[in-house]
Amino acid sequence: MIRLYHLGKSYGPHDALIDVNLHIPKGDFVYITGPSGAGKTTLLKLLYGAEHPSSGKLLVGGIDASKLSDRQLPHLRRNIGVVFQDFKLIPNRTVADNVGLALEVLGMDRHDISRRIRAVLNTVGLRGRENSLPTDLSGGEQQRVAVARAIVNDPAILLADEPTGNLDGAMAVEVMEILLAVNLRGTTVMVATHDTGLMDRFPNRKLRFENGRLVKS
Amino acid sequence: MNSTTEHLIRRGLRSCWENLSLNAMVVSVIGAALILAGTYLQVIHNLDKVMTSWDREVHISAYFYGNDPGEHQFAIMDEIAAMPAVEEVIHLSEEDAALFLIERLPDVAPIIEEFGAEVLPASLEITLRPNYTRPELIQEFVDGITQHDFEEIDYGQEWVRKFESFLSMLQALGTVIGSLIVLASIFLVANTMHLVVYARRPELETMKLVGATFGFVVTPFLIEGAVLGLLGGVVATCGLLAIHILLFARVGEYLNLAMSNESLVFLPVSWVVLLILIGILLGMAGCYKAVNKFWKAAS
Repeated sequence: MIRLYHLGKSYGPHDALIDVNLHIPKGDFVYITGPSGAGKTTLLKLLYGAEHPSSGKLLVGGIDASKLSDRQLPHLRRNIGVVFQDFKLIPNRTVADNVGLALEVLGMDRHDISRRIRAVLNTVGLRGRENSLPTDLSGGEQQRVAVARAIVNDPAILLADEPTGNLDGAMAVEVMEILLAVNLRGTTVMVATHDTGLMDRFPNRKLRFENGRLVKS
Repeated sequence: MNSTTEHLIRRGLRSCWENLSLNAMVVSVIGAALILAGTYLQVIHNLDKVMTSWDREVHISAYFYGNDPGEHQFAIMDEIAAMPAVEEVIHLSEEDAALFLIERLPDVAPIIEEFGAEVLPASLEITLRPNYTRPELIQEFVDGITQHDFEEIDYGQEWVRKFESFLSMLQALGTVIGSLIVLASIFLVANTMHLVVYARRPELETMKLVGATFGFVVTPFLIEGAVLGLLGGVVATCGLLAIHILLFARVGEYLNLAMSNESLVFLPVSWVVLLILIGILLGMAGCYKAVNKFWKAAS
């Protein structure tokens, strides 16, 4: 599903990722771990096309993502669900609007959108909160809205950047259980996290980064 | 209508209501630009109308030499009357010319009486058909009748031609000024729309990250721009009507178009429609520019 060949990313003189080689098969669940500044978020950004690699090759679903034009990029992103560290919820749109955004860009019918929004909110435990604004929700609920938006279109790949970083223990477990359930349906999941407790509780393959290098995979 | 189109239209129209103060500013900018352009067009339109009325009333006076016998003069008159460009020819004898002059300027009567009607030459007063009132056709006609050996041919078109040149210059200047107004408006509308786009940056960034295409993001803004441009066009039309009623019509009364009996008129409907269309394009161009700039900068 995802293959990296000698992938590198630099910001000026600073190397964020150095010579990363990696293969993540379809349906895998992978933790990306390492200290702050190790390159976890940079790797995720490269995968969903927010950044372009400085060197190497990046294949996502057989497509060379490093060579995608601005016109092609949206099509890649429609197959990748992303849970952002800061949620990236639109504050003045309801929960349903936020979640439905990922379906609207696909040109889906309004009734289908409503049906899928109801289903996914049920999955993440937010049934009945369709018309709430993100500002009316707790941090955990906002995180679950972000997860709902990322999985509502059944993406082939789900990327989550510190999805439990702002949550207490019980909430974090709930979110992890949702991500595992998504993975069970066949979605390849990559979770960037520091939370060793969660990684021990839900053991899966770990990719450890240090100073931009993949030191353990 | 498919769901995407419906969604884009709904978003575009909703956005018009959500940013009322900024959108009011956009409408004002477009309205002001169109009022400037429309006022200029109205001036040009009325000057052009006056020109046309002058052209319609072309008279040519061809003066005979004093010693030209009457029969010869009438023979020439018949020859000219037979020309296709001629609507009417009137022969004014020396006596008719004297009476005409005394009628208009009674003070000259003693001079005419002392020197006799012979001081004024007999003439032919020629009126051309409406199809032959263009300056080059008049000149061609005048060149054609000089063979008859008139002492002088006066057709008073020299200054009309100068006025026409002035009008052409004004039109050229207007094109330059109009283009500058349009560019300035696009710039102002785009800058105002930048504020709208900036206010909605999180939403647009998120849309981009979940796979929205540029077309999907920009279309609601184009709809919004078109609505704002339409409103700007309507505001400008109302403004121009107010200017016409309060200012132009009064100026017209004072002038009474000293040079013409035509009254000052408002812009033709087709020009008003064109102004509104320009407003719509201005709104759309401004919005496109603002979103495009954001799109290139966003990740």
